[in-house]
Amino acid sequence: MERTDIVTKLTPIFKKVFNDDSIIITDGLTANDVANWDSLSHMLLIAEVETGFAIKFKLKDLNKMRNVGDMIDIISSKL
Amino acid sequence: MFYEYVLTPFFRMVRESGTNNAFCINERFYTYNELGSCVSAIREKIRLTGYKSRNVGLVANDDIETYAAIFAIWSEGLAYVPLHPQQPAERSMEIIAQADIDLVISSGINNPFTGVKIIESAGLQTGEKDFKNQSPEEAPEEALAYILFTSGSTGKPKGVPLMRSNVGAFMKSFFEVGFDVTAADRCLQCFDLTFDVSVQSFLTPLTRGACVYTIPHDQIKYSYVYGLMDDHRLTFGVMAPSMIRYLRPYFDEINSQSMRYCILTAEASPVELIREWSACIPQAEIYDFYGPTEATIYCTYYKYSRTGINKDLNGMLSIGKPMNGVHAIITDEARNILAAGSKGELCISGDQLTAGYWNNPEKNKESFFELELDGVTERFYKTGDLCYMDEAGDIMYSGRLDFQVKIQGYRIELGEIEHHARICVNGRNAIAVAFQNSTGNTEIALFVEGDLENPVLLTDYLKSKMPYYMVPTKIIRQDNFPLNTNGKVDRNKLKALIA
Repeated sequence: MERTDIVTKLTPIFKKVFNDDSIIITDGLTANDVANWDSLSHMLLIAEVETGFAIKFKLKDLNKMRNVGDMIDIISSKL
Repeated sequence: MFYEYVLTPFFRMVRESGTNNAFCINERFYTYNELGSCVSAIREKIRLTGYKSRNVGLVANDDIETYAAIFAIWSEGLAYVPLHPQQPAERSMEIIAQADIDLVISSGINNPFTGVKIIESAGLQTGEKDFKNQSPEEAPEEALAYILFTSGSTGKPKGVPLMRSNVGAFMKSFFEVGFDVTAADRCLQCFDLTFDVSVQSFLTPLTRGACVYTIPHDQIKYSYVYGLMDDHRLTFGVMAPSMIRYLRPYFDEINSQSMRYCILTAEASPVELIREWSACIPQAEIYDFYGPTEATIYCTYYKYSRTGINKDLNGMLSIGKPMNGVHAIITDEARNILAAGSKGELCISGDQLTAGYWNNPEKNKESFFELELDGVTERFYKTGDLCYMDEAGDIMYSGRLDFQVKIQGYRIELGEIEHHARICVNGRNAIAVAFQNSTGNTEIALFVEGDLENPVLLTDYLKSKMPYYMVPTKIIRQDNFPLNTNGKVDRNKLKALIA
C-alpha cells in the first residue's frame, strides 16, 4: 500500500477518534496539534488503526511514534 | 525539618556531586552544576525584581528552569503556586487573585497574566562559579512551601497550602519506609507539577544525588514511560494504576530488570492488575501509597507481596498502615472512633497536615476537627474516603463518601463541572457522571436536561472554564432525568444510559 493510500485510510479514523472533521493528516502532525489527543484518545486511536489495517503494534513501535509520519512508516512496514 | 530533609541535602548534592546528572528532560541531561547555576540565577532575578506576596506563581512547564525555580523560590524563603500552562488563562488568573500573587516565574514566552511582574526564566544560568557556595535564606518552618489549587464544588478552585514543616515531615517519614536511594538511581517523574506526587517524585532523587527523568508535555505518557524504562533502565518509578492499565496490552513486551522500587498511587490499585504488572518488573519492591493533598502527598502505605497473600477490598489493594508521624482513625459522623472491621470515614492527623484551606474558614470548619487521642488533643482532617481498618491495623479503601472522582490521578468534584454546565445551559439541570470506558479507565459523561441544540458550544464553554481533564468526553441530552425514591436525580440510572 502506498503512503497516500495509508493517509486516505487513516483520515476517517482520525476524524472519528478526535471527533473533528477538519483534521488534515500530514507527516508532521503531533499530539500537540490536535485538541483531545491525550493518552486516552491515543489508546483509542491505536485500537482503531489496528483494526482498520488488520495489524498489531508493539509497545516499541508506539514509543517510536513521535508524529503521524512515524505512524505511517510503521503501518507501511507491517503491511 | 525542611532544611534537614530538603534544602540542606539538595545544596550538598550541588556542592559535592556537581558532575552527576540531576535531570533528563526530553532526551537531554542536566548536571547538578547546571541545575545549581540555574537556581542561583533565578534567585538573583527574584531579588532584583522584588515581590510583595510570599506566594510566587510558577508556570509548570517541563524544563530545567521550572524545576530550578522551585528550589530558588524555596531558597528565598518563599512558596510556589503552580499554574498549568495548558489550563485556561481565566483559571490561572483566579488562582493568582486568590493566592494574592504579584510575581510569576515562567520559562515560556506566552504569559497571559495581567497585573503581575513576570520573570522570564528561559536560558537563565549564572556564568559565575560561586553558585556552589550558595545557601538558603532562613525562613520559619511554618512558612509555606507550596499551595496547590484543586477542584472545588462551588465552581472556584480551592487552595491547599502546605508548610515547610509539612514537606520536611513527609520526606523524613517517606525515607523511613525503607527506600535506599543513592546517586546511582534513575527516577521517574511523570506527574504534572500541579499535582503533589510530583514533589515526592523530584525530591527523592534530588536529595540523594540521583537523576530525575521527566515526560515532555507533548508526548503520550504511557509509551514514553516505557521508553524511559527501556532506554534508561529506570530504577525508581512512581505511577498511577490507570497509566499501568494503558500498558497492559503490552505487558509481554516489558521486562525491566533494573526497576528496584515501584510506587502505585493517586487512585485505588486493582490487585489483579498489579499482580500482572509485577512480572514486568521482576526485581522491584512494589508499594501502594495513599494520601490526600491536605496531608502532604502520602500518609499510608502497603507493601505488595509477590509470594504471599495481599489484603484487598473489592479487588482493590489495601492502603495499609500510616507512615511514621501520621495517625489514622476511622470514625462515624459523630466522630466516634469505630472498631476494627466497621466502615466509616478515614481521618488523618500529624505533622504532615495542612494548617487549613487557603482563606476558606467555612471549608475549614467543615473539614477539620479536634479529638483527644491517648490524652493528647489532635487536629484531624476528614478525608471523605470510606474505609475500614482490619484487626492488624491495615486500612481497606471502599470509595468516596461524596461525588469526588479521580480522572488521570486528578481529584475532581463533579459538582464543579455541573456548576459551569448549568450556567452555559441557562440554569437547566446538568449532571456529571464518572464511568469506566471499554479500556477500564474513567471518563466523565455530562447529562443535560431539556433541549441542547449545539453540544459543541457547551464543550467549548467548559474548555474555557476548566482544565482539559475535567471536560466531559460525552454529552448526552435527556428530556427528563430519572429520579430515585428520595426524589433525587438517579445517577445510577443515568450511568446505565452511557453507551
